Amino acid sequence: MSSQSLIAWLYGSPVSTTIRDVLWIVPTVQSVHIMAIAVIFGSAVISDLRLAGVLATDEPLDVVVRRYFPWMRNALIVLLVTGLIMTAGEPDRVLNNTTFWLKMALVVSVFSLTWLVRRPLLRHTADTRSFASDYRIKPLAWLSILLWCVVIFCGRWIAYTI
Amino acid sequence: MELQSTLQAIQDTRVATMIRESGLAFPTLESLHVLGIALVFGTIAIVDLRLLGYASHRRSAHRLIKELLPFTWIAFAVCVATGLLMFISNAITYAENSFFWWKMGALLLAGLNMGVFHLGVYRRIDEWDVSLPPPSGARAAGVGSLALWTLVIFLGRWIGFS
Repeated sequence: MSSQSLIAWLYGSPVSTTIRDVLWIVPTVQSVHIMAIAVIFGSAVISDLRLAGVLATDEPLDVVVRRYFPWMRNALIVLLVTGLIMTAGEPDRVLNNTTFWLKMALVVSVFSLTWLVRRPLLRHTADTRSFASDYRIKPLAWLSILLWCVVIFCGRWIAYTI
Repeated sequence: MELQSTLQAIQDTRVATMIRESGLAFPTLESLHVLGIALVFGTIAIVDLRLLGYASHRRSAHRLIKELLPFTWIAFAVCVATGLLMFISNAITYAENSFFWWKMGALLLAGLNMGVFHLGVYRRIDEWDVSLPPPSGARAAGVGSLALWTLVIFLGRWIGFS
């Protein structure tokens, strides 16, 4: 089956039709999606700014990171589920959209980056002091914040691009 | 009639016309608006959860509030500025949209909730700064704030669907 016929099949499926026909589903799912964006972005900004050494520097690095990482992971799950529902409702418009695929690539990149940077702290394998002196951590923390901003822009732009 | 002509004059201004006619302006404003919402709700939720008694990245509620409030206010200013520009671009349509007015009402209530907290239990914060669970007044403010900001996000998303 080609990807276009798969999209056509998905579009005609009862699930897809229901998402389009029941008027409250899409705005509700989008609202939940925005709430989860707030959780993931808020947690990212606070913990990345701690990693960058500009916020809550009197609190231990691993305490701050371990406080926010589970919230980021759980928010990501909510984002994937709500995103999947939106995609199922309009597979033709979403799956053929370049901005959508750019956004997906960025989400995978920034969340991998988030996890890789935090992994030593989450697993208690790192001595926090030597971890903090790693010269790569600060620029990567700033890069993460920047990438999350680009992800948010891409999300809004899916509705305006082909 | 008076109001109608004022709204017409607003959306006839050069700025409003430019936003309406440019393909880039509106999605850019929307993206910045979502970015602002993410930081407003993200930072407010961290404080609200602390007011409910969930430990944050630091024990002191007072220091947590002072640390995060500048982020909340700057992001809120971004939301107001971008929201205002979106409003003037189609002032008549927005003024006729009941969800828009419900959202403004919910924002007002969220502001009142914050005012009550600041004039009330926040004045005695030194007495409960590090105690868990916080006093009932603080917990009520936390629940109220989470509920009202969630409502603001839902109503905001609904504006575009009505």
